[in-house]
Amino acid sequence: MLFQLLRNSRVAASRKSCLFSTQTNPKPTVSYLNLQGSGMSAIERLCLEEALLRHDPLKRSWAIVGTHDPVYNSYLPNIEEAKRSNETCLIIMGIGGKPELLLDVEKAKADNVLTIKRFSGGGTVVVDHSSLWTTFIGRNDDFPHVDPYPKSIMSWSANEIFHKVFQRMKADAIHNSVSAERKTMIMETKPGGEMTQDVSKTMTYSIDTPNSLNEIPDFALRENDYVLGERKVGGNSQSIVKDAWLHHTSFLWDYEEENMSYLTLPSKKPDYRGERDHDEFLLKLKNVYGSIGDDSSTRRAFFYHLKCAAHESFELEEVYLKDAMKVVEDLGGMKTWFEGKCRTKILDLETHK
Amino acid sequence: AELKYTKDHEWVRVEGDTAIIGITEFAQSELGDIVFVEIETEGETLDAEEVFGSIEAVKTVSDLFMPISGEVTEFNENLEANPEVVNSDPYGDGWMVKIAVSDASQLDGLLSAEAYADLIK
Repeated sequence: MLFQLLRNSRVAASRKSCLFSTQTNPKPTVSYLNLQGSGMSAIERLCLEEALLRHDPLKRSWAIVGTHDPVYNSYLPNIEEAKRSNETCLIIMGIGGKPELLLDVEKAKADNVLTIKRFSGGGTVVVDHSSLWTTFIGRNDDFPHVDPYPKSIMSWSANEIFHKVFQRMKADAIHNSVSAERKTMIMETKPGGEMTQDVSKTMTYSIDTPNSLNEIPDFALRENDYVLGERKVGGNSQSIVKDAWLHHTSFLWDYEEENMSYLTLPSKKPDYRGERDHDEFLLKLKNVYGSIGDDSSTRRAFFYHLKCAAHESFELEEVYLKDAMKVVEDLGGMKTWFEGKCRTKILDLETHK
Repeated sequence: AELKYTKDHEWVRVEGDTAIIGITEFAQSELGDIVFVEIETEGETLDAEEVFGSIEAVKTVSDLFMPISGEVTEFNENLEANPEVVNSDPYGDGWMVKIAVSDASQLDGLLSAEAYADLIK
């Protein structure tokens, strides 16, 4: 009884905080875990995700969001290789990825880049502290309208969640740009007075806006990728288990072009890519939406809009990391899980194992 | 022999004491291009619905589930070099494992072709 009262109060609090919340038909309950500022590393997060997918005794559906900046390696502090995940970038391969086919192995070795294999399928991504991560774990009973297969899962996520997120990001950019222009006009119509600037000179208001707001490309699911226009904005993959699926994505907020040189051109690539190299094919979200003010606030807006979109589709139940970690603790703790049956592993670029 | 099906989109064909298992046309179509089939349970006796391996497509890795209980006696090694056979011939050369059946009565709990066709409508 007490648990139910607490659960209801948390759901009500979550709903009040969202401008876009709506009262609709009964929706599935989804546990919401925000890892922003948690200090959790990418390896630790992947281990947690797999544990929640396969071993959550409550069989919950989950929405997990966040970045990995900064990283404290709180749960795998003594894994020497894991400490390196705090460095400039991290290569993450799908479970079946072959480094000799997908990576410039010699360069990755020379630069001592941490390379891991995750438990889900899909291709290889290079992530860093600026990457935006989202994960959905869906129990088939909670999502009867989503077939537990990639096309259905991605269609659902694109239409129900991410399309809304990127529409609202675009609206933010337009709104912020108009506000900035309005300030410039006000300043120009108030000559002299308390202003210190020389009014005989042109008043400039420095804003960082996209080149043309009307040209912000629309979000879409293109073959198996999330794109803006014709360019990919993130890598996604799935894992399907008994009566549940997991779908996670790392969105490219910003990245160092040099880091993409660790990736070779894959032999299997989507048709819409053509012969474009990584820099022509990928798109930094930062370049599209820009930032008026600080970069971190715009990234936080991404997660705000995602939470609102999720709130429209689910009854969100906020969960603390320590509560989610109980699932891992029941498996013997993060270290035992990571070194045991967890499929996320650090890849030895010498042996490819 | 008549095929039986599971709700997880596996098929099974029994030949004497041996059952041959694979995934259905629907499953291979939904998964997309198969890039890897991993089965490391040869020699193990597994219960119905236990995981006997995994199959990887372009974006996804999916567990494979035993339709009925038995000992995994053989893995289709051709799939190591040619996983795409699962796409092109899921009911023939794309078979995945053979098992020694523990309890043939479990077949009664599986879906007929008609019932499976209704499931995937």
